[in-house]
Amino acid sequence: MVYSSELIKGTLKTIILKLLADNKKMYGYEITQRVKEVSADRIQITEGALYPTLHAMEADGLVTTEVEYIGKRMRKYYSLSPAGKAATRERVKELSAFMQTMALLLDIQPKTA
Amino acid sequence: MYPITDEHIDFVLRDLDANGVKTPDLQQNLLDHLCILAERDLEEGDDFYAYYRAVIHSFYREELAEIEAETMFLLRHRRRLLLLSRGQFLCGLFIVFIGPFIACDSLCFLRTGRLPVEVWGGTLVFLQFPFLVWLVVALTPERFDPLLPRGSKVLLGWRPFISIL
Repeated sequence: MVYSSELIKGTLKTIILKLLADNKKMYGYEITQRVKEVSADRIQITEGALYPTLHAMEADGLVTTEVEYIGKRMRKYYSLSPAGKAATRERVKELSAFMQTMALLLDIQPKTA
Repeated sequence: MYPITDEHIDFVLRDLDANGVKTPDLQQNLLDHLCILAERDLEEGDDFYAYYRAVIHSFYREELAEIEAETMFLLRHRRRLLLLSRGQFLCGLFIVFIGPFIACDSLCFLRTGRLPVEVWGGTLVFLQFPFLVWLVVALTPERFDPLLPRGSKVLLGWRPFISIL
């Protein structure tokens, strides 16, 4: 089951921040592939959602960039800034609390083995 | 690996621009993404242009310009705030509110050789304000507000300008 884009939209920034925290520096395609891999294809980030978000995160000072030229084309690597590292901690904490609240609200029992 | 030529790159950049993706940074990101997909999926001799036309549709819902519009929307609606860590914020708070008093106390001591009670007493009174803010920040459970508690932002009157991470 692929999750709907509405569900993913609100968490995209947190996903990117956490991936960058775990992987130091990544470029766009790498981020989409890593998300697909970790989520077993259930979360598919579209290019139309990913790049505007990365662009806004750069403007917000949450990520810093490094450019690598491959012939005539340019590859942009993203890594967390100090503000991004602090934001990652807070956002992951906030999302975790939110998920617990949703579990209570929707009366979802954790799966037992 | 499929060889991407300068002609392919120029074609993609022209097409992105013609279809509403005007931000150079965004163009370069999409170009690199497309080139990686082409290098992964195509065999030598395959038609890059046909592949591009087929793949680019998966990047948007109705039109390419959506990506540019979404970027502009996010940039317009981003929080124009000064981002500080809690430590930086609290240090700043103490420096701004207590710094002048400490300087005044030191100056007074250097000039007269003594520190009257009304001078250090005033410092002590004003020390309460940042101390109280620190207490609110330290004691507010994170489940209520993972950021700086709203009450203390209102108290400081800096709510619109400062986001504490």
